[in-house]
Amino acid sequence: MHVLDLDYMLGLLPILLGYLPLTLEMAGAGMLAALVLACLLAVVRVQRTPGLNALAMLFISFFRGTPLLVQLFLFYYGLPQILTFLVAINGITATILGLTLHFSAYMAESIRAAIVGVDRSQTEAALSIGMTQGQLMQRIVLPQATRVATPTLMNYFIDMIKATSLAFTLGVTELMGATQKEAAGSFLYFEAFLLAAIIYWIVVEILSWLQRRLEKRLNRAYQR
Amino acid sequence: MSLRHFMQYALAGLALSATALTAHADTLRVGMSGGYYPFTFVEQDELKGFEVDVMNAVGEQTGDDVEFVTASFSGLAGMLDAKRVDTIANQITITPERQEKYAFTEPYVYDGAQVVVRKGNDAIQGVEDLKGKTVAVNLGSNYEELLRELPYADDIDIKTYESNIEQDVALGRADAFVMDRISATQVIKDKPLPLELAGQPFSRIENALPFRDDEAGHALRDRVNEALRALREDGTLKQISEKWFGTDITSP
Repeated sequence: MHVLDLDYMLGLLPILLGYLPLTLEMAGAGMLAALVLACLLAVVRVQRTPGLNALAMLFISFFRGTPLLVQLFLFYYGLPQILTFLVAINGITATILGLTLHFSAYMAESIRAAIVGVDRSQTEAALSIGMTQGQLMQRIVLPQATRVATPTLMNYFIDMIKATSLAFTLGVTELMGATQKEAAGSFLYFEAFLLAAIIYWIVVEILSWLQRRLEKRLNRAYQR
Repeated sequence: MSLRHFMQYALAGLALSATALTAHADTLRVGMSGGYYPFTFVEQDELKGFEVDVMNAVGEQTGDDVEFVTASFSGLAGMLDAKRVDTIANQITITPERQEKYAFTEPYVYDGAQVVVRKGNDAIQGVEDLKGKTVAVNLGSNYEELLRELPYADDIDIKTYESNIEQDVALGRADAFVMDRISATQVIKDKPLPLELAGQPFSRIENALPFRDDEAGHALRDRVNEALRALREDGTLKQISEKWFGTDITSP
């Protein structure tokens, strides 16, 4: 067994870091789109909008019930064989699309839980002083639901960052794809993958720190 | 990649216009794994290897721009089928099943399947000793099929991998792996893994470039075939082979 080749890792670090922006961009874009979609799904589910509610349930059932990798292969390799114009969707877009649909299904449920979790007395009090449904949501329910949903949503964001490592199966060289190819050239698997693990870990740690700050801020109203 | 760059990508992807589809007219898009030393691999962020050199030489002959697309090996065939690449340069072996589906060029590499074991493992001296053993092969490669055709195939525990089969045999998780003799020899020579060849190659292998089996695919195949023939005649193929392998693997 050879010892850890630190020089190799040091040389590889700037190369792998060069692929980090793409990883973060895919996760960031996926998260923003997933948040919007998840909110819509959650509202439909909470209000039990006729027709739409059933569709939302089907959507959530499918995207939560099948592996992300299967969904990515379906969009990128499967669908273009039937709908040829879909070939124009490149790997990056397909990855973002896959992340968005997959994670919005999970996030919709945690947002729904947060909305439902706001005590009924709050709603009754707001309505009793003459707030409209819109005002009720905007001023009373959503601020409280946001506080409850934030930790789980951050969890999904962290998960999403790591899920971008599947993009290489769609021909997108992101952090994991770059690592695999470099390891194939050097055969220093341990060094290469250890370095990739450390990079992911540090990114997630930074996010966790941001999450703690954000939670503190959202908790201000509850502190004495 | 800057954010603007990224947005351009996203927009180009979303714009389902005809221009996006015809933009590749004079570009030969070549799929490869980037993970098959020394055929296609990355060093210091640069894609290198025998396949890269061959395809660049082909591009010079035909006058096409060659664009390399790297993806996991298991995604490559899907890319070809979905018209995301025009061919795959990843030591694709000609098999009857593949011939039914794709239009192949003439072979440009001649090789054999090789059993490789962890150094010092004397229990396996060749393919006949794989009975009762765990054998690693790459997912989607034809070595799995070669093993399954053996009369004692049921007694072999075949494990398919996405990548890193060399590492798992070196670690002792699998008793042996099977890949082509050329890259197996190269891996053992160049890399710090405790591996050795077990016996002689057990099957003749011819590798070529697959194209889609339609009119455009056939036209492109013929063009690349002509280029390969020219490169064989002027000695370029031999030269590239000797650069990477120290021997000529491009003739039978």
